[in-house]
Amino acid sequence: MVRYQQADARATTMLIEQLSPQLYRFFAAQLGNADNAQDMLQDAWLRIHRVRHTYRPGEPVLPWVYAIARRVRVDNYRKRRRIAMRELVVETLPEPAVPTSEATDLPPFDKLIADLPASQREVLTLLKVNGLSLEEVACATSSSVGSVKQKAHRAYERLRSVLQLSRAGKGTEV
Amino acid sequence: MNRREVTQGELDRLIDAQELPQLRADRLKQIESAVIADLRPVRPMASDGVYVGALAGIFIAICIVSCYLIAGRDGWEALSNLQRPVVFIPLLAIASLLAFSLVRQMRPAAKYVRTTALFGAGVFILLIASVVLIFHPMQETAFAHDSLVCFRAGMMFAIPTAILFGIVLWRGAALSPALTGATAGGLAGLAGLTVLEIHCPNMNVYHIVVAHLSVVVVCALAGFIFSSVTFSRRWSNH
Repeated sequence: MVRYQQADARATTMLIEQLSPQLYRFFAAQLGNADNAQDMLQDAWLRIHRVRHTYRPGEPVLPWVYAIARRVRVDNYRKRRRIAMRELVVETLPEPAVPTSEATDLPPFDKLIADLPASQREVLTLLKVNGLSLEEVACATSSSVGSVKQKAHRAYERLRSVLQLSRAGKGTEV
Repeated sequence: MNRREVTQGELDRLIDAQELPQLRADRLKQIESAVIADLRPVRPMASDGVYVGALAGIFIAICIVSCYLIAGRDGWEALSNLQRPVVFIPLLAIASLLAFSLVRQMRPAAKYVRTTALFGAGVFILLIASVVLIFHPMQETAFAHDSLVCFRAGMMFAIPTAILFGIVLWRGAALSPALTGATAGGLAGLAGLTVLEIHCPNMNVYHIVVAHLSVVVVCALAGFIFSSVTFSRRWSNH
């Protein structure tokens, strides 16, 4: 990251290649739309590039990157909502959701988390999909570790109840 | 307990089984080339202490300049020994909280950014309540005129403060420009309020609420609107 700030092209390429898949997962898991996720990834990198001076050497990189990424997601969501409010007629159907493994009998992850409140969905994605620690998620979301734990706990509780209902439904079908 | 473990395991299995789409290689190259094309060295931002010092320096300098521009300290002298700490201690506390919040807002991934700003807003509400309690209504012949004079004087000091804050904060207002604008505006308004409390001898509670305290509210709102518009354009033009 420090070499990126010093305009080292090789270090910059390495950084982009290392972080992009993680960032892409962060966007894709929450949006369920591959094209939107790729657009947002590009936006995120442009924003990261523009504010790269705000990174202070010695500090953890991932919370810094995800704090910017989540801001891009929020801005993008607002922008799309504004556009959607202006458009009265929708001519095309939304793209199909992210493909999921057929090997599991459980509902797809993106559908499962779609009903969660945005803050819980975000925390769960950062913890489970991106593999960030509680402390890192707290930094990225500008909140406390306790708050992250609480959101994750509530998200798990909700997902558990959905899974229980799903299983119960399948049991009665049989 | 058993139910919890099983469900947690299932949840982990579900997430592991999830196949998210792969990032297209051409898109990755596109991002890389866009970033590399604009690559030039940047200087990392200074430490938090430097920014706190700069904000405090501007705030104090404005108050000192006001003492040269406006003769006497009639407001300070008109306040009783009880009123002085009730007014100036919360002012100092709010200014410190807002300054720390601003500095944290300039650092993505900093903790307690909103909490500190909201705490500052809470203390400001307490200040209003204290003013209402310890000051009393008085008969004024030219309430509107006097209020307008004071409000303008407060804004006269708050606006240059806000401009100087803007210069200091410009590089760092990256994530929540609306919040940064509101916080910086509020802090600039506090500088105007401090100047008024030092120099204005009018102890009418209505005058203090309408002409003095409103400077902070108006500046915070103006900062919020200005920053929202300016930075949303800055990002959308990018």
